[in-house]
Amino acid sequence: MAMQIFEYNGSAVVAMVGKNCFAIASDRRLGVQLQTIATDFQRISKIHDRVFIGLSGLATDVQTLYQRLVFRHKLYQLREERDMKPETFASLVSAILYEKRFGPYLCQPVIAGLGEDDKPFICTMDSIGAKELAKDFVVSGTASESLYGACEAMYKPDMEAEELFETISQALLSSVDRDCLSGWGGHVYVVTPTEIKERILKGRMD
Amino acid sequence: AETLQIVVSSSPVPSHANDKESYLWRSHTGGFGTTLESRGSCKRNQGIENQKKSERKVSSAVSNMSRRYDSRTTIFSPEGRLYQVEYAMEAIGNAGSAIGILAKDGVVLIGEKKVTSKLLQTSTSAEKMYKIDDHVACAVAGIMSDANILINTARVQAQRYTFMYQEPMPVEQLVQSLCDTKQGYTQFGGLRPFGVSFLFAGWDKNHGFQLYMSDPSGNYGGWKAAAVGANNQAAQSILKQDYKDDASREEVVELALKVLSKTMDSTSLTSEKLELAEVFLTPSGSVQYHVHSPESLTKLLVKHGVTQPAAETS
Repeated sequence: MAMQIFEYNGSAVVAMVGKNCFAIASDRRLGVQLQTIATDFQRISKIHDRVFIGLSGLATDVQTLYQRLVFRHKLYQLREERDMKPETFASLVSAILYEKRFGPYLCQPVIAGLGEDDKPFICTMDSIGAKELAKDFVVSGTASESLYGACEAMYKPDMEAEELFETISQALLSSVDRDCLSGWGGHVYVVTPTEIKERILKGRMD
Repeated sequence: AETLQIVVSSSPVPSHANDKESYLWRSHTGGFGTTLESRGSCKRNQGIENQKKSERKVSSAVSNMSRRYDSRTTIFSPEGRLYQVEYAMEAIGNAGSAIGILAKDGVVLIGEKKVTSKLLQTSTSAEKMYKIDDHVACAVAGIMSDANILINTARVQAQRYTFMYQEPMPVEQLVQSLCDTKQGYTQFGGLRPFGVSFLFAGWDKNHGFQLYMSDPSGNYGGWKAAAVGANNQAAQSILKQDYKDDASREEVVELALKVLSKTMDSTSLTSEKLELAEVFLTPSGSVQYHVHSPESLTKLLVKHGVTQPAAETS
């Protein structure tokens, strides 16, 4: 069996834009190739109340990269006495990834946040920091091809928080069902200017 | 022949015989004295003075003799002192004071703002208090530009620890790490020491609430109550009398305001001249660093009766 490093642990991450809100969701499986090791692996982490980052790819880099980003964001907060805007944060992630251009972190981040005037912002990038901004949805992980299809079909612009949650959950679950390396439930965050709603999905537990 | 003496002043020209006080010889210290010193008496006097100096306590006045030992930080003087470090502490003695007091349920830091001009843009950023990490804050006394460098260093050190161990850096370790940096400037590199003293206030799960004081030499100590900056000795002596163990945060804030009102140079206390911050635990168990707003400070000053001139404090 050929070892593909990006497919070593398995992952699926998706983010969608709604009306003054955004949703970011991931699967929960952590595997070592064909063996499932954990079913509660956290791929999405909060940077601050209005910026979330979901990392797909090699699990160890997911964790280390997140820890490095917390380091940088904490210092930013202490020096500038404010939280980072999502666009700024995306640039920071891109810069940190490019620093390791010739020995990269094997992750593809998905960044989602509420910017100024509560305008939702999403973006994704490859493992060396090439940013891709989108107005509707971004996907990443081993299930990305299925996710592209599902999101394209189910997405509508300007959805409210509840409808957005339904849409992103359906898109995630149907896509991970077509991918053997991701699944075992879902973890969805729906963020509006006033609250952060975190939900666990139970899908096909395989 | 006649000799002409032109008298410029009415007093006679001093002579060695008549006017011992105004007829002076250059002495070994570089100053002036009434007796002529030979090479032998010079050496003898040097020896006596060195002896006297080592018996004297640390004082702010430094004689000319020591000038040859204070140009470099990295050498000791014959009496075993590091003059540059002591001069740095002198600089801090002229800066705005800061006081820190430990309470049962938190730590209180209070600072005197020296620069209070109407023209000063009082933005959200503070002059005396700084957050180092979520669980540690510090008050500063001394040269602000030196303080900024050290605060940044402390912040990065705290984050590096958290990155490595995925938990907050214990307060004493942070203080020690920063003091190691300060010590480096007293031993090598030929650079002057930092002219800043810090009061660190923080909480960690092993030792609870802690207060540390550090000075330019890189020495630090854990304190129940400490003062740095101008009039710090007066403040420390008042604190020694009035400090009570296990006081609540409100009682400690009252004590801090009273001590500062007594030791501050200005006649009245207003909220513009002060900064007050507290480190405490929220009911949910997380550490909070809270700086009082000017309105809240004014209310506290009125409540504890310290807005009037120092003579009328209750």
